[in-house]
Amino acid sequence: MTQQLLPNELAVPAVPSATDPQGKVRRRPAAARGKRRAAASPAFVAGSVMLGLVLLLAAGGALLPGYDPFGQNLSAAMRKPFTDPEHLLGTDSLGRDMLSRLSLASFVTLGIALAVVILNAVIGTGLGMAAGYFGGRLDSAITTLADVNLAMPVVLLLIAVAAVTGPSATLTIATLGLTYWVGYARVSRNLARSLRHRDFVLAPLTQGGGHGWVIRKHILPNVFSQTLIIAATDIATIILIESSLEYLGLGVQPPVPSWGSMIFEGQKYLGTNPWLAILPGIVMFLTVAGAQFTSQRFTAEGTTGALLRKGRAA
Amino acid sequence: MPQYLIKRTGQAVFTLFCVLTFAFILGRATGKPAGLLLPDNATPAEVDALNGALGFNEPLHVQYLTFLANVLGGDFGMSYRQREPALVLIAERLPATFELAFWSFLLGLVLALLAATAIQLTGSRTLRSIFIWGGSLRQSVPDFFFALLAVLLFSVALGMLPSLGRTSPASLVLPVLTIATGQFVLYVRLIDAALSDQAGQDYVRTAFSKGQSRARVLFSHMLPNSVLPVLTMAGLNLGSLLGGTVVVEAVFAWPGLGQVLTEAVSQRDFPIVQAGLLVVALIFVSVNLAVDLIAAKVDPRVSLA
Repeated sequence: MTQQLLPNELAVPAVPSATDPQGKVRRRPAAARGKRRAAASPAFVAGSVMLGLVLLLAAGGALLPGYDPFGQNLSAAMRKPFTDPEHLLGTDSLGRDMLSRLSLASFVTLGIALAVVILNAVIGTGLGMAAGYFGGRLDSAITTLADVNLAMPVVLLLIAVAAVTGPSATLTIATLGLTYWVGYARVSRNLARSLRHRDFVLAPLTQGGGHGWVIRKHILPNVFSQTLIIAATDIATIILIESSLEYLGLGVQPPVPSWGSMIFEGQKYLGTNPWLAILPGIVMFLTVAGAQFTSQRFTAEGTTGALLRKGRAA
Repeated sequence: MPQYLIKRTGQAVFTLFCVLTFAFILGRATGKPAGLLLPDNATPAEVDALNGALGFNEPLHVQYLTFLANVLGGDFGMSYRQREPALVLIAERLPATFELAFWSFLLGLVLALLAATAIQLTGSRTLRSIFIWGGSLRQSVPDFFFALLAVLLFSVALGMLPSLGRTSPASLVLPVLTIATGQFVLYVRLIDAALSDQAGQDYVRTAFSKGQSRARVLFSHMLPNSVLPVLTMAGLNLGSLLGGTVVVEAVFAWPGLGQVLTEAVSQRDFPIVQAGLLVVALIFVSVNLAVDLIAAKVDPRVSLA
């Protein structure tokens, strides 16, 4: 059980050391924070720019003149990008505007990914904190649940559920949301376990504070930053899985576009107009790479390098 | 050791049991199958009779026990559409999927091993960044899109390799390349972390102080000690490897598990999906059990933990 490492777990830091008696992580002095911001790596800047572009596309697309992701016009079908001023990024096989469809697809795909990550974080952190805080039988029950969860290949699970209910966006959110929480649970369990006997947890208990109150006021604030870090690293993975499912036709159903289904559509016209598949691919790459680059700032990416250096010096 | 063995095996059995129960619940949620099995003009009485014959009118707990007994006896139900045992339909597609998964795993692991040893031998941080960043960039492109780009380049533009099907050894190249490069960065990170972990150990310093060469320390001391964590992680990654294979199969029209499963979903042929889910879960759980037991056998510290 213990040697089943998740990638996430490699990046688990020790309990925050700078805690005040209230159990909240003390904020760094403003000057130090400013310094850290100034030292943002080129990768972080590049990642932010990439993510910003996609968010702009997702949020701003609907404001553009001529926004119409569903309107078909067969006489203007299969226009290549930058050839028609009315359709900046061209049109698909039914003459629908690619820019509008890309914008809506980004909105839909990102929305689903966000919902999944929030669901994962809430379930995982909740279960993990309960397991670590209360320990005992509850702990072993939740740990077993996590192990069982890991033993189910997610894609196959979703295929199985889709065979029963028929595919839909709700289904994607529910299945991914209910299966991808183990990383959060492990980290918050270990943190809650180590915080359980600290003075700032015991003190309110001796004064009659309830467990729920202690978890909410003293455990959660310490776990929360870790949850955010996992969410930041996980969102790229979620988007990749989600798009694979959409590509297989198990996600959002037409006519609503998604990156995966647009690439699947475009695949039929690779020989004549490869842009239909390449454009959504580029947007997807910008999102996933952008999310990875920005989230690396919060993970142990730099620390492993330090390990390597230290190892060589020895 | 025996205690660990019992505990770990019990856990594996319990996991399989949960997957079985889940499959049963899903199966009942699909409703009674006779409506799908019989022609459209069947009378309600005929439908009811067939449901009864298939055991769907029994109380739920009886159905559950029958289901468990059937599965234990290797009976995973009949396909609704193809009138053949679902297990047979799955079993005949498995070799193609295994072929793909195996070669992809091997290629990805060998590439990662070469990269990680190169990093350690040269001690170059630049090299490490190149491998990790390159791998991360590749991972940012979903497998199915990378596969399309590869088809566009090697099949459409250059005409070197087949883009579809499983006809010759050459048709393995593009799918294997896609999956292997996608898994590459995960393995590099893992092996590199394991090796870097070893590099800080006392025995490595001792070996260096005795004047052993970097290569010798790496290959005869550090590498053997790094095998176990890598093996464990590789076992856990099997699920994502098989899941990834299923998606890549769809791109290349590879006649494997992925194809039969997606077809079954669109035809609402639940027994096939159920058999596929159970077979993959069985493979996954037994491989991980085997890996953990080997790890415990080789490294006594594991069973004490």
